[in-house]
Parts: sequence; C-alpha cells; structure tokens
Amino acid sequence: MPIRRRDFLKISLGGSTLLALSSPLGESLSQSAEPPAPQRHDRDTVLVLLQLSGGNDGLNTVVPFEDDLYHRSRPTLRLAAQRLHKLDAQLGFHPDAPAFGRLYHEGQLSVLQGVGYPDSDRNHDGAMRDWHTARPGLALCPTGWVGGAIDHVYDAADRDLPAVFVGSTPTPFNLQTEKAVVPAIRSLSDWGLAQSTADARPLPSRKRPARSAAAALPSQTHPLLALAQHITRRAWASAARLEAVVAEGRRANPVEYPPFGLAGTLQTVAQLIRANLGIRIFAAEFGGGGIGGFDTHANQAANHGALLRQLSESIVAFVADLRRDRLLDRVLLVTFSEFGRTVAENGRRGTDHGAAAPLFLVGGKLKGGLIGSHPSLSDLDGGGLKFQTDFRRVYATLLDHWLGFDSLAILGERFEPVDFLESI
Amino acid sequence: MRKNPLISLTLAWSVLAVVPLAQPQDLPPANQWIPEEAVAVIELARPEALLDPLLSQDLARALGALPVWQQRTATPKYREFMAVLGYLEGQLSTDWRTAARKLIGDGVTLALGPQGEILLAVDARDGNLLDQLHQILRGFAVAEAAKQGQADRVTSVEYRGVTGHSFGPKEAHAILGRRLLVANQPKILKYVVDLKDDPQGRHLAASPLYQGAARAAGKGAVATAFVNLQALRDRPGLQQALTAASNPLATLLLAGTREALKTANWLSLGMYLEGGRLILKAATDGQPPAPAQSAAFATPREPGTGALPNLAVPGAIAGLSLYRDLHGFYAAKNVLFPERTSGLIFFENMMGIFFSGLDLTEQVFGETRPEIRLVVAAQRYDPAIGTPAVQWPAFAAILRLRRPAAFGEVVEEAWQKAIGLVNFTQGQQANPGLILDRFAHRDTKGTVAYYRPPAASGQAPIDARYNFRPALARPGDYLILSSTDGLARQLIDALDREQAAPGPARPVTHTLLELEGAQLRAILAANFDHLVRKNMVDKGTTQPQAEAELGMLLTLLDCVGAARLDLGRPSGPLGARLELELKLPTADPPKPAQVNAGAPPPPNTTVAAR
Amino acid sequence: MSWEPLADPAWAWAPFEPSAAQPWDLRQAGHLYRRAAFGATRAQLDQALAAGPQRAIDALLEPAADVAAFNRSADTYEAAAASGASTHELRAWWLRRMIETPHPLLERMTLFWHGHFALSNARVRSAQLMADHVQLLRRHALGSFREMFEGVLADPAVYLGLGAQANRRARPNLPFARTLLEQFTLGAGQFTDQDIQAVARAFTGWFVFQQDLRYLEREHDSGPNRLLGRAGDWDARQVAQALLQQPATARRLVRQLYRWLIAEEDPPADAFLEPLAVELARDYQIGRVVETMLRSNAFFSPLAYRQRVKSPVEFAIGLVRSLGATVGTTQLGAALADLGQDLYQPPTVAGWAGHRYWLNRFTVLGRVQLAHTLLATSKGPNGPWDAALAVGPQDRPTAAVPQLLADLFLEGDLAEASQQALLAGAMSAGADAAQRQPDGLIECAARLVATPEYQLS
Repeated sequence: MPIRRRDFLKISLGGSTLLALSSPLGESLSQSAEPPAPQRHDRDTVLVLLQLSGGNDGLNTVVPFEDDLYHRSRPTLRLAAQRLHKLDAQLGFHPDAPAFGRLYHEGQLSVLQGVGYPDSDRNHDGAMRDWHTARPGLALCPTGWVGGAIDHVYDAADRDLPAVFVGSTPTPFNLQTEKAVVPAIRSLSDWGLAQSTADARPLPSRKRPARSAAAALPSQTHPLLALAQHITRRAWASAARLEAVVAEGRRANPVEYPPFGLAGTLQTVAQLIRANLGIRIFAAEFGGGGIGGFDTHANQAANHGALLRQLSESIVAFVADLRRDRLLDRVLLVTFSEFGRTVAENGRRGTDHGAAAPLFLVGGKLKGGLIGSHPSLSDLDGGGLKFQTDFRRVYATLLDHWLGFDSLAILGERFEPVDFLESI
Repeated sequence: MRKNPLISLTLAWSVLAVVPLAQPQDLPPANQWIPEEAVAVIELARPEALLDPLLSQDLARALGALPVWQQRTATPKYREFMAVLGYLEGQLSTDWRTAARKLIGDGVTLALGPQGEILLAVDARDGNLLDQLHQILRGFAVAEAAKQGQADRVTSVEYRGVTGHSFGPKEAHAILGRRLLVANQPKILKYVVDLKDDPQGRHLAASPLYQGAARAAGKGAVATAFVNLQALRDRPGLQQALTAASNPLATLLLAGTREALKTANWLSLGMYLEGGRLILKAATDGQPPAPAQSAAFATPREPGTGALPNLAVPGAIAGLSLYRDLHGFYAAKNVLFPERTSGLIFFENMMGIFFSGLDLTEQVFGETRPEIRLVVAAQRYDPAIGTPAVQWPAFAAILRLRRPAAFGEVVEEAWQKAIGLVNFTQGQQANPGLILDRFAHRDTKGTVAYYRPPAASGQAPIDARYNFRPALARPGDYLILSSTDGLARQLIDALDREQAAPGPARPVTHTLLELEGAQLRAILAANFDHLVRKNMVDKGTTQPQAEAELGMLLTLLDCVGAARLDLGRPSGPLGARLELELKLPTADPPKPAQVNAGAPPPPNTTVAAR
Repeated sequence: MSWEPLADPAWAWAPFEPSAAQPWDLRQAGHLYRRAAFGATRAQLDQALAAGPQRAIDALLEPAADVAAFNRSADTYEAAAASGASTHELRAWWLRRMIETPHPLLERMTLFWHGHFALSNARVRSAQLMADHVQLLRRHALGSFREMFEGVLADPAVYLGLGAQANRRARPNLPFARTLLEQFTLGAGQFTDQDIQAVARAFTGWFVFQQDLRYLEREHDSGPNRLLGRAGDWDARQVAQALLQQPATARRLVRQLYRWLIAEEDPPADAFLEPLAVELARDYQIGRVVETMLRSNAFFSPLAYRQRVKSPVEFAIGLVRSLGATVGTTQLGAALADLGQDLYQPPTVAGWAGHRYWLNRFTVLGRVQLAHTLLATSKGPNGPWDAALAVGPQDRPTAAVPQLLADLFLEGDLAEASQQALLAGAMSAGADAAQRQPDGLIECAARLVATPEYQLS
C-alpha cells in the first residue's frame, strides 16, 4: 500500500510541528508578524468555486413539476410534486435537498437557470476542459481560467497568491497556471497546524551579538533575498493565524458539520476564510475525482438523491458557520458541472450527457430568487436542455463585479454581466 | 556513538522482560494485584512453553546463519549488549538461558492503565537469583547516576513494609518474595501495595468483565490478553475505527466484526501451542447485528448455512470464503457507505450497461446466494508465449446463483459486453485487445478471452497483460469469474470433487481466510527483482539493502506453513480463530532467501492453444 | 545589480582569478557546487577549496569516476520502470539518479533541457516515450545542440506532446510550428506569422502511429514556401538547419543558459551575452559555453551570487546530497510536484517559470515540511543519516556541530544574529535529554534550510 502524500509530508513532524520552529528569519513571530489581513486589495470578497463532477442532472435538482413533459420523459426517475421543496408554483428542489429550500427562501441561494455554451461538448473531458479554460473548443489551451486570474493578479510582486485548491482529489485544470505554484490543501494538518501548541514555540534569543559585516548577505542590496524574506515572513504569519483559528474553533461552540467528505472540505475553507489570509478564490470538488459521482447513467434515483443530500447539507453547515462569524457577506459560493443530462431517461433508470443546467449561487450578497426562466423541455439541444446564459458571462461577472479583477485580461473577451449580485 | 550504560541497562531489563518463567506458592496470583481499572492485561501463565522454542540452540544457530541477522549483530550496540550480558552471566555464575528460565519461569503479567500507567509483575522461580541480579543492576545504576552527577537519582523508599526502588524518574520497582513489580510511576507501586493488603480492594481478578473474558479464553492458553472495551469505547481513535467506513469493500469485508466490537464490553485473546501450530483465539461479548440492521447481511441465519470450505486448487496461495448477502448489502448502501464516489458511480454505470438496465440491487445481486469464495493461485505460463516481467497470480471469484438456468446466460452476456468494452477503450488508446473464444472442460462450457501472442516470443520477459486470460464458466449453480482459464478449469474440477465428497461439517463462520506460506513466498520470489527495485526507490535503500530486507521477509514466510483465520464462530457473537502452522528453523537452516528459491509453482494447466 | 568591472564583456567572460577582493573561499565553492551540481558535502567543499576554482571546475566537467558505468546501471533500473502511462516510477528513478550520480552537472543540464523543451506526460501519456525523450536530452545535454534538436524533431513524444501527431496537408499545425520557433529556437518576436505558416507546412506529412513517427509523402504539402525571407520547398530537416543558422537561436539559448547557470535576476543586455552567442553559433557545442560560463569572472561575481531561486528539485536534491545521504524518491517525487515541480510534467510549453514563482506562502511552508521529512528519513551508507558524521570527523565536539551545519548549508550568508537565534532555539529543543541530541541536530538543520537565504541558489 503506497503511503499517501499527506502522510509523507507529515511523518517527520512527529512531536514537533511547524510552529515549534522559530521563524527562519531568526526573529520572533511578534517581530515578523505583519498586519493581520492583507489590506492592499480594494476588496476582500471571496469566491468558492465548487465543481460537481460527472454532469449534474439539473432537471431532477430543480424540478419543473407542473410540466407534463417532465413526467412523460421520466417514467422511473420523475419526482412527485408533493415530495418537492417548492421554489414557486412551477419549480421545486429535489426531495433530498430540503436545505436548499430553506436557503432559497432566506435569500441566500439563487438559482441561475439554463447555463451552458454554444456547441457544447458531450464528453466529460472535453466539456470539463471547456468549463475549466473558458475557451470552448480550444483543446490545447494550456491554462485554466482561475489559473489565468492567479497569474494576472500575482504578477504584482507584493501580492499574495490569490487562489488555492482545497480537497484530496487531483487539482482541477481550472487552476492550471503558467507561472505561479498553486497549493492543494488537503487539510489544515498539512501545514502541521492541528496538533501544534503555542508553548512549544521556543523563544528566540533577544540579545543581538555584533554583526560580522563581511559575512552575511545584505538584503538591502539584494532584492531577491529581500523578496524571499518577505514571503517567508508572510508564510510564518499565515501559519500562526491559521493555528489561532483552529485553536479558537476548538474552544468556541463549533458549528456542527455533517460527516461527509464535502462538509469537511467546506469546513477547511471556512477556517481559511476566517484566518483572513488574502485568499480570494477557493476551488473545491464534489464527486470523488475521476469522471465523477454525478455521472448517473444507471440507477440514478438513489445515487443522485444521496449526492444532493450531501451537497445541500454540507453547504448549509458552511453557511451557518460563516454567518456565525458574520463572514457570509464576504463569501459567494458557486457550483458548476460540465453539463446537464438528457431530458429523457435512457432505459437503464439513468440519464445521459446533456447540455445546459442550473448553477447554484450561495452567499450573503445575492439578489436572491430565480434568475432566468426554465429552459423548454420540448425545444432541445440534442436531447439536453438549451442554454440561455453563457457560463463565461457568469465568470466575467464573478471576476469584475465580485472579485474586482479584470475579466477582459483573464478571459480574453468582454462578456455581458449577469445580474445576480446585490450592488456592493 | 557515545557509550551509554543506561542503554545497556535498559536492554538488560528488556531481555528479562521478553525472555519470560509459574506462580510462587507463597503469593496470591498476580491478577489479584492488578487494579481493576487496568484497560489491557497480558498474562503469560506458562512462560516455558514459549521459552523452550525461543531459547533453543537450534533456533539460535538457524538465526545466526541468516545474513540479515549477521548484519544486525555486527553493530556496536549489539556488541555492547553482549558484553553486558557476558558480565552478568559471570557474576551470576550461570548462562543467560538458564537464568531467564529461573527468573521468569513462574509467570509474567503486564497491565496497562487508562492514563498510560504500566505495571509489570514477574514471578521468578529462583528468588535468590532475582535478588542477586537486582543488586548488580542497582550497582550499575548508582555508578551511572554518579557519573552524570545525579547520584540522588537512584533511591530506595520504605512503604508499608515494602522497599520500593527507583533507578530514574520514569521507573519504580519492588521485590516481594519471588515477585518483581515494575511500574512507570512510583504511585502505581504504592497503589499495588495498598491493594494487596486490602481485603476489600478492587482487583482485576474480581472484576466480572475480566472473569467473562477469562472464561472465554479457556484453559491451557500459553498466553492470554484481556482488553476492557467498556473503558476504551469512548476513545476517539477506537470510535473512528468502529464507525462505518465509506469504502464499500471494507464494509463488505468487515461486516459483523465491527458491529460486534462496537457493542462489546471485553475482548479476550488466548494463545495456544499445539504440535507446531500457533493458535490465537479471540472472543468478545459483543452482539451480532440484529436481523433488521443494515450490517446483518453477513450473519448466517438458517442452521447449516455459513461460509463454505475453501476450494482446493493446485498452487493455491490464498482462499477467502465469505458468507455475505450481496442483495442485503447493496440495498443498505445509503446507510453503509453514504458517499457516492466516482468509482461507485462508474461501477453502477458499467453494470447498467452490461446488464442492459436491470436493477443492480434487485435483479442482479438478488440473483446471487450468500456463499462467495475467492481463490488466488500460482500460474504457469505457456513457454511458447513467454513469462511476463511482472508475474501476477491467477485469481477468481466463485459465486452461487439462485436461478442458474434463468440468470446464467444473462451473466454470460454481461461478461462478453464487458470484454467488448475493454477492447473498445483499449483500441481507442491504440493498445491490443482481447480475442473472445469458447472453451469446454468436463461438461462445462465457458468463455475465455486472450491476447494475441507477442510477435517475437522467446526469452525476453513479455508484457504484464499476458498474466490475464479472463474466463467465465458456469458449472452447476456456480458462477466462476477467473483471471485465467487455467484456474477456471481447476475450479471446475474442485467443485466436482466437492460435490462428490462434501467435507466434514464445519462450525458456522461468516469469514474464512486461508494462506499458504510457501506459495506466497514463491510468488514474491518470482517477482524478487521487481520488489527490490520498488524497495530501492520507496525507501532509498541500496540494492544489497533492499535484497536483504526482502530476503528477511522470504525467510519469515519460510517459517509459516499455512495460516487460517475464521471469523464469526457460534461460540460467541465475535469469535475469531487464527491458526498458524510454524516451521521454525532447525539446526539445518533453509537456504538464505534468493531469487526463485521458493517452491516451484505447481502444474497449473494454463492452456494456450485452442 | 550592476557591478562596475562587469561593464566589459571580455573581462566578464574571462576565466576567474581569485583576488583579495574576490577570494576563493567557502562561499564561492558552495556557489560553484550549487550551480554546477546539486550542492556538495563538506568533504567536497574542502577538496574544492584545496584544488582552487579552475581545477574544481575541471572535476565537475570531467569527473574522475566512471560516469558511463553509473549511467548504464541507472538506465537499467529506469528501463524496468518505463511502462504504462504514468511517469511516477520514472520520476522516482530520475531523482535517485540525481542523488547518486558522480556527474551531477550532466543531470542538472538534462533538467535544464527538460525545462527548455518542456514536454509533458500529461499529453504524451507514455512512460516509455518520456524515458526515451529524457534519455535523448541527457545524451546531448553537454554535447551538440544541433544533434539534440535533430533528435527532438525525430522524437514521436514531441509530436504527441504538442498535439501534432497528425500533420495533414489540409491542416498544417500552427501551434506546433509556433512552439518550435518561440520555445525551442528563435524566441518570441524573432519571427512572423508567415514563418509559422511556413514551418507548419514544412512539417506536413509527419504522423505518429502507435508511438512511431512516420512520414507520409502524400500528406506533405510540397508547394513553394517562404521561411525567414527565403523561398523554397522546405522540409523538416531544412527547417531545422535554417533555424540553427539564425543568430537569434544561439542568442536565446545563451540567455536561457545564463538564467540557469548565472542569474535569474536582472536580465543582461544583448551585448553582454554576444561573445557567448557567437561562440555557440559556431558549432552549437553546449559544453564549451557552459564551461566558459562556469569559469568566468561573471560567474564568481555578485551578479551571480544567490541570484537564483532554488527550484524544488534543487532544494531537495541539494539538501540530500550535501549530507552525503540517500532518501526514498517515490514520495519525494510527489512532494516536489506539490511544490510546483513535477518531473516529466512541466506546466506549459514554456516550462517552469522559476524565479520568484517558486516561492509563495504555501510553498515556503511546504519546503520546511519536506526538509523535516528528508532530514528524518535520509539514510547514510550504514543506517540513518548522522549530522555529526556529515559535517566532519567524529571527534569534533558535539557543540560545534550546529555551527558546522550552518557553514555547510549557508556558508556564512546568514546574518550572525539570525543564526544565533535559530540555533539557540534548536539546541534548547534538543536539550531535554542527552539521548535526543541527534533530533536536536535535525531541528537545527531544518531551521537552517528554512531560511530565506537557503532558498536562493
């Protein structure tokens, strides 16, 4: 059995932990600590990008229960109206996602209907690559759209890395950069933080012996060294802040997360947001890597229900956690999936690869409600739903209006914004 | 490396502890001196039964011949240890083997407390020798402490007529008659002294949990262990281990066992030696899952049902026989493994295609009976094709169908679709595909798929895909899915034999695992080079180091004839029995492990030509 | 950084002579071994100090050990790992080769060319092809760029890696042509769109079938074609010749080598590099230019000193080699990928961006963790690595070992105040019991390699 990477990185720490070390600058942490939050940016909004791998069946997530065609197209998978959690007189959430219903009515969840793109790819790899690169059809596009944002923002030397991936599956391609190294954070103990104790930290010597001037490398005349020192100082300050957040989380009444992998991931994201490290984009994945759990070609009913229960309950816990610390107004969570599924069942109690699907937006600064109308169930795109909103318009809105980045530079084109944000 | 007498001292003590000797007549049994709060206790009632084989000159000679042993004993630390041992032998005017018997021969008891307390009780057969040794070691300790300028570290204290000694801050001990008591904290020693004098004292021997465990362990055990699960139940580590895993395969395999442990108050282990076999028996008072519980799919309900005996095939490496109701298992998936991983969904999608949309739970798993057997066996390669660079053993699953006539061909169709799909995807990646063929063995027809032989077959090792000739066969109401048609044929024969002469009735178990040491060794030896290279990059060893390490493993396997594990016996909710056939090295040791030094794979008629 | 004497390229590239102002000392020996190898043990540094700079460089260019025999044995191990679609096993064996090789400059240069051609197994999906590709780079790493480039153009992996496995007459592959011009040879701004068209057309007819590169005459577009201002019926071979004749190719290679061997900071003016570019353009012998750079005044000047950021591979292999130790490389390969340098899988056709991009808050913390793991799991020739053994004879007083480690890792580059604060902490962590002293030293070593100074090469 191969040792997993995380274990490899943890083995050596044993009793001592990262923070048991003094700062490698030979300064105490109080000396090296910087102001708690990087305030260089004009905004501190955070985007959580949640990938639902496999192609979520939007039609059974937000169900047009009044549409006769829905019931006729899905002889075994149709969901009865009385079991749904109603959004309005036409639409209802899947029976296993009551939590979505509550969030929706509290105005913290918006449904963006019929999102997709022209000539959409029907293969997992191709479609997912299109969503990841935001350059549909460009198979050799070397970087992802978040990666592009990272390189664009990080190019200014004094800025912190603006995005991370949180989770244990391989890092998705949307984070692929040309230059910056984007970390994958599996859990906070990756950084030796969980077991760390403050009293194990040695007190560095205060006395300053006379400097032998000839020996040391002078950072004043060595910009590269000055940069390395700056980053190291910020690294240690970040680690200290994370440690404090984890310790505080154990003391205060923590919000209870359900025992799902996704919930654990979102809890880690919440801790990282609370630590205020200047990370603007968190990417996470739900569906177990690979082709993904949402690829329900057979026996869909029970599996899709289980997934939606985990998704909605994990998100609700995340929202409660953020709301408790009054952080929700700074956070916007957006789901996406490579495609929706076919309107008609496939004879194996499942559905096949489709086209457009709804996106879910969760946060404290949303307009709320339904955005766009439900796509027609009779006017189809190769058996799937036709799109109304190009997903790149969503990306552009997130970049320009939520994060305050330059979407033109990152997406290479100007897209008309979608109106889902409260003005901020 | 700095000389450190403290290390030698520790080593000397540990040898005493490891080399265990029945009970002094003048003292009550040691378990009456163990506080009731102990969470785990190990008792060696008859240390000699273990000492005799371990201390035999034969074993010493055999071990001495091993290169690995020679490497280990060449270190300065070992030489230092031997020097101290020699000195002690001189002082006590006896050899260490005899001394060990005299010092430990009447029993050893080790108890662990809930907060990491440790208490060791050793009953010596020769009280004088114990006192003598104690004096010598105390002398060592005093000298060492003085050298480090901490002369006051070695202390002796009088408490209620007992003299307690301590050589350092993390150790305290006392000798009462022929019993030596060692603890990691002085207060434990005091507690024991109080306990032994208190007629109302709550000691282990009087605890109902311990008594229950002791009854289950039975008489005649060489060693027994008792674990107080009631006390440990709330530990997060144990909680985590017992909470349902989200991995379906682990859930399938561990069913029953985990539930029993969850409800158990105690766990008892007994070790027995019976004519060259080492037997470990485990028991708990835990309850099996109730029929309505999701984990009940592994509990045989009707009398006479349970895991079947493993099928005997030539060159068998391992056999696993399970009693698992797959239908019940899969129907309870939302409870048993709620996470929908990519792998699970992929499996469902594929099954959906192979079985043309049948419902997996009801219409597929519902067609199988709970008797499931898995076999792993050595295979012999067709010399005309060649031997793969990495050798995989053949493996197969044997299922039993409820309605073989109606469902058999459905499975066959699904199987051929699966092969077709493999071929399609392999073709997409420009890789070779499988050729489908039919074969007949006795009265059974089967499907086999094979790879076209390599163009230039000959001496060079061939691709690993030639380990596989996937086959399906349906003898009677059985269904064989095998990685080679050779193994499928042998299984058809084995099922025939089983039909003709059913084995003796066996106790009802839900899991039966058997391993054949020599065959396991042979397959490892066949892949020796591959494993050596893997060890080199995984651990950063040199080639000789990696070879020595793997050689050690092969040598260990030489010591195991066969191993057999039964789980879920009727004697208790969780009964487990592990039987190891030991082949301890004799004066004439086996050759040091080398490539292909294992038993040659037995004839395994993998038929290449059609 | 500007340094007055370097204004004159002739002097900058002349062989270095130690002087009172620029003495041959431990710092310079360490610098040489960081750039021309993956760090050095204390014994190697002492030898280099005794030998003087030029003879130390001789030994790095032409090691006394039997390099061919070592590489043959390494090739055998690697061949057994070169199967399937994943390069994880290969990655482990290359890292092991880097740790053990008697010719570290060759491996460092192989790594350089791997970054230059930046072929990724993410697209090639074949361990065998990737192994062959890196073997090709190793074969010519210090030899002829002409032969290497011709080899690259005959390498099926390159076509697969650039999505050019089918160069049809009807669909000349423009991205492939652009990569050839922009990354492999001339560099950005040195060619026109028409040149891209011409190169793409010249390569029509080349296909990869089942991992073999084949030429189909009927798919070749043989019409007249204009490349770099010259008309002709260009084929692949002629394109290669023409690209090598362009001075821009040699200039770009020299600039890249400068970045690799001398400094990532402050790109120099063209005029400064021109003597070397002219030299390289003569016959494309890489080894000679590398040698000139290593021996030069520029190399031993403040222009170069710690003016590069260590890549994750340089960081880890340098640490292990400086201890004279070995370490398991399977997990190391994965850890290095986490830190941004996945061997056989560079991020884009531009290779690893390097420089300050290696360092951010997370990679800095990751490096500290990795250092801990490496220090705790490193093996010496007879068991666990021993700090006291690595830095000198056994009879050195234990108390001196932290200072010796600091000399080994940082050669006095750490401000004394910082160093004292660091080491005081480490000793107190190990001071609770005499037995834990080795751990105290690991702590010491870990702190030293966590410093910002150590991240610079």
